[in-house]
Order: sequence, then C-alpha cells, then structure tokens
Amino acid sequence: MSYIISDDAKELLKDVKEFCEKEIREQVKEYDISGEWPREIYEKAIEMQLHMMDVPEEYGGLGLSHIDQAAIVEEIAKADAGVAVTLNGNGLSLKPVLIAGNEEQKQKCCDIIINGGWGAFALTEPDAGCDAANSKTTAVREGDEYVINGRKCFITNAQVADFFVVTAMTNKELGVKGMSAFLVYKGTPGLSVGNHENKMGIRTSVTSDLLLEDVRIPAENRLGEEGTGFITAMKTLDLARMWCAVIGVGVGERCIEEAAKYAQQRVTFGKPIYKHQAIQFTLANMQIRTEAARQLCAHAITLADMGVPFTTEASCAKAFAGDAAVQSAVDAIQVLGGYGYSREYPVEKLLRDAKIFQIFEGTNEIQRIVIGRNVINKYKI
Amino acid sequence: MEILVYIEVKEGELVQGSLEALAAAKELGNATALVAGDADAAAKAAVYGAPVVCAKVDAANPDAILGAVEAVCKAKNADAVFFAGTQWGKDLAPRLASRAKTGCITDVTGMEKDGDAILYTRPAFGGTVIEKMKNHGALQVCTIRSGSYSKPEAGAPASIEECDPGEADIRVKVLEAAKEITEAVNLEGADIIVSGGRGMGSKEDFQLVVELAKVLGATVGASRPAIEDGWISRAHQVGQSGKIVAPKLYIACGISGAMQHISGAIGSKYIVAINKDPDASIFSVADLGLVGDAKQIIPLLIEEIKKRK
Amino acid sequence: MEILIFVKQVPDDGIEVHLDPAAGTPDTAKIDKIANAFDTYALELAARYVEANGGNVTVAAIGPDGTDSMLKNLIAVGAKKAYLFKDPSFEQGDEASTANRLAQLVKKCEAENGAPYDLILCGKESTDEISGQVGARLAEELSLPFVSSVIEITPDGDKLIAKQETDEGYIKFETAMPAVYTIAKPGYDPRYPNIKAKMAARKAVIPTFSAADAGVSEAPCYVECVSYTEPPKREAGLKIQEKEVADTVAKAMEILIKDKVL
Repeated sequence: MSYIISDDAKELLKDVKEFCEKEIREQVKEYDISGEWPREIYEKAIEMQLHMMDVPEEYGGLGLSHIDQAAIVEEIAKADAGVAVTLNGNGLSLKPVLIAGNEEQKQKCCDIIINGGWGAFALTEPDAGCDAANSKTTAVREGDEYVINGRKCFITNAQVADFFVVTAMTNKELGVKGMSAFLVYKGTPGLSVGNHENKMGIRTSVTSDLLLEDVRIPAENRLGEEGTGFITAMKTLDLARMWCAVIGVGVGERCIEEAAKYAQQRVTFGKPIYKHQAIQFTLANMQIRTEAARQLCAHAITLADMGVPFTTEASCAKAFAGDAAVQSAVDAIQVLGGYGYSREYPVEKLLRDAKIFQIFEGTNEIQRIVIGRNVINKYKI
Repeated sequence: MEILVYIEVKEGELVQGSLEALAAAKELGNATALVAGDADAAAKAAVYGAPVVCAKVDAANPDAILGAVEAVCKAKNADAVFFAGTQWGKDLAPRLASRAKTGCITDVTGMEKDGDAILYTRPAFGGTVIEKMKNHGALQVCTIRSGSYSKPEAGAPASIEECDPGEADIRVKVLEAAKEITEAVNLEGADIIVSGGRGMGSKEDFQLVVELAKVLGATVGASRPAIEDGWISRAHQVGQSGKIVAPKLYIACGISGAMQHISGAIGSKYIVAINKDPDASIFSVADLGLVGDAKQIIPLLIEEIKKRK
Repeated sequence: MEILIFVKQVPDDGIEVHLDPAAGTPDTAKIDKIANAFDTYALELAARYVEANGGNVTVAAIGPDGTDSMLKNLIAVGAKKAYLFKDPSFEQGDEASTANRLAQLVKKCEAENGAPYDLILCGKESTDEISGQVGARLAEELSLPFVSSVIEITPDGDKLIAKQETDEGYIKFETAMPAVYTIAKPGYDPRYPNIKAKMAARKAVIPTFSAADAGVSEAPCYVECVSYTEPPKREAGLKIQEKEVADTVAKAMEILIKDKVL
C-alpha cells in the first residue's frame, strides 16, 4: 500500500524520485556533516517547483491534490528529511496567511514563494513552546503602525526567509485571546536572525533565533483581527502536524529500504540475514508501523480536505508517525549491526533525523494531551 | 565470399579496429582492404596480406569516403563490407547498407558461416543479452566491435591498386577538426587497465590511479562519474558509453560497479576491485576484492609492487 | 527553426534485462518504459536551441499503447507538439524498416505541424539494441546531410554548424537545412519538468495515427534475430577485508602472485 494517487501524479512522482536520487540522496551526506544549508539543492528544487506545493491554484499554485502532495513530500523525505522540512517550511508559513490573511496578503506571500522565495513561521519562544499562550513577544499599536519586540527561537528557514509570520501579544491581559499574527518582511529595521542551531539531525534544514527589536510594521500587515493570532496559530499547527507526519513516514520508509537491502546482501551462518526470522519480523514490524502511519496521514488529510474536524486525527498521525520513524530507525540500525552504528552507512543519520518528529510541531506528549482530552470529550459522562 | 574492409586511418596510422575487421574478413573469405586517400597508409595496409584499393578522395569528409566505399563495393562486386566499430565505422556502415538496400549489423563480436550466410553475434541491452543475427539482404554489412579479433599477422606486402571512385554526393563540409585530448589512450589494446571512479573522491586523489597504472605499465581507465567530474579526459572512459575493454588484468578503484561500467569491462580476464563499500556491486564480478578505502590501499599497493620489481 | 525529434521508448536502462526462460527472448514486460536517454539529450539540446534562436520542437514516436504517456512527459520538458504512430505492422522489422517508416512519417508530421522541418534529430543510439543505425539510415532515406554524435548546434545564416564529439576532441561540420543529426551527451543534463508543466502536459491529448492514417506503405526488412542467449555469468571471487589496510594489501598481493596476475 501507499498513497492512492492518479496515474498522472504517478508520472510526476517518478520525476521527483529521479530528482531525489540524482540531486539529493548522495549530496546531503556532505551537508549532514558540515551543517551548511545546501543552497544548490534548493535552487534545483525551486526550479522543479517543489517549494510551492502549498500555494493554492487560484494564487498561481500547482493544483495538486493533497494526497498527491503527500506522496511527493514522502519521496523527498525518503531522500532527506531536512530537505523535506525546509520545503515544507514554505507551506507552514503560508498556512496562517491563507487562514487569516486578506486577498492582498495572500497574493503577496504566494508571489514571494512562486518567485523562489522562502517564508518562516515564528511562533515558538524561549519560554513559550507548546504553551504558546505564555508568549513574551509584544506588538504595540502606534498610529498606523505596530511596534514589535521579542525573541523567537527554533524558527525553520529564518535565515533564508523573505517573509515571516510572527505571533505577538497585542493585549497581554487577555491571554491567548490577546495574541495577534503579523507579516514581517525581510529587511525590516530591527529584525535580525540569530545563529543557526547546530542540530542533531535534519541538518540540511536551517533553524535559528529571530530577534525583534522595535520592529515597526504597518498595521495593514496584521493577519486577521487583533486577538485572532492564537486561533490562527492553532489551525496552522493542525495542518502542519499532518505534513510533519508525512515527512516522518518518509524517514520510516527509508529505514525499511536500507534495512531490506542490507538484509539481502549480508550473509551470516550461510544465508542472507533476511532469511533469519528475527530479521524478517523486524522488517515486517517496520513495514506495519510505517504503513499504519501513512494511512493515518491519508485519513487526516482526507478529513481536512472535506472540511470536517481533523485535530485528533492529525495529532494521532503526528505522534504515531514520529514514534514509528524513531523505532524504525532504531530497528534499521540493529539490522545493520556494527555497520548501522557507523557513519559510513546511512542509517545512523536516519535516527538523528527521526528524533525531531517526536519533538517539533508540538511534542508527542502534547499530541497525547490533545488526543486524550478529545477522547474524554467524546465519552463525557 | 568477396569481402571489402574499409581501413580507417588516423594521423597516418591504421586504426586497430580496422585491422581486426580485416582479420575477421580473412577468416571468412577473400578480403580486400580499402584505404581512402593516403598512399602511405595503403602501403602500411598491404603488409597484412590482403590486396589494397587506394581511393583518391578527401579522407576527412565522411560523404567522400562513403562514396568511395560504395563505388569500390560495386566495382569489386563485393558480397560483404566490414567496418571497424569506431564512430566513423558506425556512421558509414548503416549509410552504405541503406544505399545498397540491405541490412547492417553493428557491434559484432563474432561471425560464423552458416551455409552461404553469415551468422553474426552481437551484444544488446548493455551486454546482458547476446543476439545471433542473420542479414537476408544481398550485401552483408557490419561493424566489428573492437577487441573481438586479433589483428592479422604482417607478411609479404600485397598488391596496391589505385582507384578514382568518381564524384561523390557531398552533403557536409568539414570546417574544423580539433584535438582536445593530446595523449594517445589505447584502452582496447591494453594488457592492464587501472580504472578509477567516484570513490577516488577528488581530482588530486585520482592521481593515485594514474600512479598505480604507471607502476604497472598499465593504461588509465575511468568510470563515467570520474569523467563527468573532470578528473580525467573522456578518452579514458570504460563502459557502455565509453570503451569496451578486454585486458588481462583490470583494476577498478573506487568504482561501485554500475552496469553501464561493468558491461564495458566484463570481458577482462581478471578483475580486481577496490572499494570501501563491502556491498558494492563491482565485487560480484571481481576475481579479487579489496574492501577498504582506495585512497589508503593504492599507495600501499604501489609500494608493494615497487618492492617486488 | 522547426525541429523534429524521433524518440524511441525503451526499457529503463538502469535495470538489467534478462531472457524469459520460457520464450527465450528478452524479458522486458515488467521493466518501466522510458524515453531513450540519447533522445532526451536531443530534446534538451533542441529546447535550448529554440529558446535561444526561436522555433518549435516536435517529438514523434512509433510505439505501442503507453507510448503516448512518454510523449506527454516530453511535452513537459521542452517539446511543443507530439505525434504518435501506432500500428500492428510497425511492431515488426529491423533498423531498415524503422528508418524507412520514419522517412515516410516526416511528411505526415509536417502536414500536422503545418510547416516543414529544418532539422531532424535522433539519439545517437538507443539503450536497448544499441545498434546506432536509425539516424544514419534515415538521413539516407531522405537524401539529407548527416552528422552523428552532435553535442552543439549553432546557426550560421541559412546553414547550420554541428559540433560532433569525437574520441580526441571534436569536428565541426557545416550543413544545409534540412539535415539529420544524431545527438550524443552534451555537457549538460536534460531538465527536470516543473510540476506545473508536468501536470499540464499530462492533460495533453497526443494525436495518434495508424499506418493508413499516416500513409505509410510496407517497409523493407533484412535482418533477423535467430536466437538470444545470455553471456556466461562471472562468479564473484574472494573478498578481503582485514582490520589493517596493510594486511588487506599484503593478502591481496599474495593472491595476485599466486594467480600469476602480477
């Protein structure tokens, strides 16, 4: 099984696969070591329009179905999770604009991305991660302007972004209801990007602090009404979680590929190790959990497309796919034995990459809180 | 069977592949060698025992050569025309066949008589499939894959006949023939080839391959990635899109063993592979595999070989 | 300039072809069919030529069902028009038959295109049969100038200059138009389609013609494949992997001397 996609999308997927094999798979090894942002890979990906799959067709986008998109994102993630995260970063930054922005804002941000630019979504703060309501960043209205002050952290694509969606408190006393979302463009005085994090995995994705010191933006850059920022952010994360899960599935699939190939080549006790039941079962379990994660993604995407609530399903997909990717990476390393632990082989990187999927876009603990709360609501007595 | 063999001349020298084609023709019937333009080359061809026709044409123009081959073929009433498996041979053979309304078999690695007909052997699909072919046309036209026949023994010179093939249908004009690669690379005739691939890592480290070749008196080969990265000129390329080689010893350094490459070297008598990936597919065709970094292994290998000299 | 490229659909050359033990013929049924690599180089070269100098590129193929999918994919990477010629009679024959049919098809392509072609391109060979004859034979069938293994084309008034790649360097030929060239691998790779172009191309309807539609008469055939075999397999030999590189080398030297290779 995999995503069920049209014949035309299958043809497209072949191109993406070829692109990943020729332009990503080998190339990322060096960037994984250096931690450098692989601009050359992204420039090629932009030419292929892999960076703009979230731009709606009416704003000049591609018109792919979300399931087609999922199959493509998985294929990219299979080659390198970091590259998939970077490309997906554009989708993440566009979502709040598409959710809360006006026509002008939507078109402007879509145009930036269509023309090869990048966006970043700046929600997390040093003291406000999953508890976004604890945000310390403030936006003070002064005439036709807002003045934003604060510090954001772990911001994907911050170093390369042309626009940022920044959440800030316009009224601290109202708590989450006092949060608003703003568009801040690169080059605005007072806006600066900190050093990028030296991360354990997804090293082809750049993550940095974002500093806002008396950043003055026109009031028209506000996304939606004052006080709607938290809702916008939560809606964004619901959607983002699904795509995060899809990338995790790609990591899991790569684990299966590496383990299955190795198991056919490595001989112990006179037979290739895949003929030993222990290895067969390991491979089977990797397949079971990866496919289960993929179908959770497909289900959440279908619900979102239908316009019905999908928060629980997106959280299930995200938590399961993240846990599955980590477990499959651990399994793949075990199948490869000593070679699995060696940096000469690709699977140790898969574990480093996989781990983030239990952490970002809401830790898996937060996902479980969301899911648990919804379970109680469903069976409320 | 009267067989005409077009002898290609490059910078005054007879092309090895043409001599192989001549050897094949001598095995099958009465061979006549056709040399375009060059009287000196005609004299060189004559020592291989087959009578030589020297056609006075512009040997730099393929249309002129094609006209000459066509005219001599008619004049001699040839039953077959053989070409070397070179770029020129592969261009001329199908064009001649088209004009003579017959079939053409390229990349022939062997021929046997089957009654009056010739049964040709040629590889297809990158060498994983071998085809036996027959040409039911009146004239037999083929190109011989280099390395398939040994060149004929030299002996007492045969006769040389000059001929004027008349006006040819000239459709192209040669403006410039440039040599970018100055070294002579004879991969097809080499006894030992040392080849390097992507695993050599860089242009500097590729020099280790060159050094090892020097110590062994070998010719340097390369796989496509090494060529594409500009570590060495494409004259050194071994593989489906390069040269098909059959040395006594083939040493593959840092070559993973894409089919594209393997099919060009599979005819080697003994293959040694050096690769740090123990699962590299090159090991499945190697008589001896050394698992390890070629960059570390080659210097030690050079040392050992020098010691034993 | 109007450029026509004849494209062949071949089994993916990244996958090894073996014989079907029952039929004794190459078993390619399960292998993905793709456009011949050299034909895709021809398309990229042509696309770059018309982008720089103006003109249109048409791709055409003879092939069974499914070939239209390949042609759609080529529309996404530089071809403007595509024609498919499909007929049971086209499935038999040798290189002479193919070249003869293609020569006849040029007229039909020109009629559909509404303009004659100034240049006809083929890949220098196909990756399945690797016979490298069709382009050369096509030039003869049409009595047109022929240059093989071209890697660069430049306009020169009403003439073209074709740069042919050779073992040692290159030869530049001047030819009149129309001409037939075969294309080798230039110094660049074919482009990837962008998603928009790809999805639009997938919606294209490829005009498809039978032998009768295209006015193709019977083609000659001379060559017969009598049998297929597989070459003897090479057995994997000894693999040495010692902890110390020096030990690996020492052991290898021993074996090479014992095997009388050195």
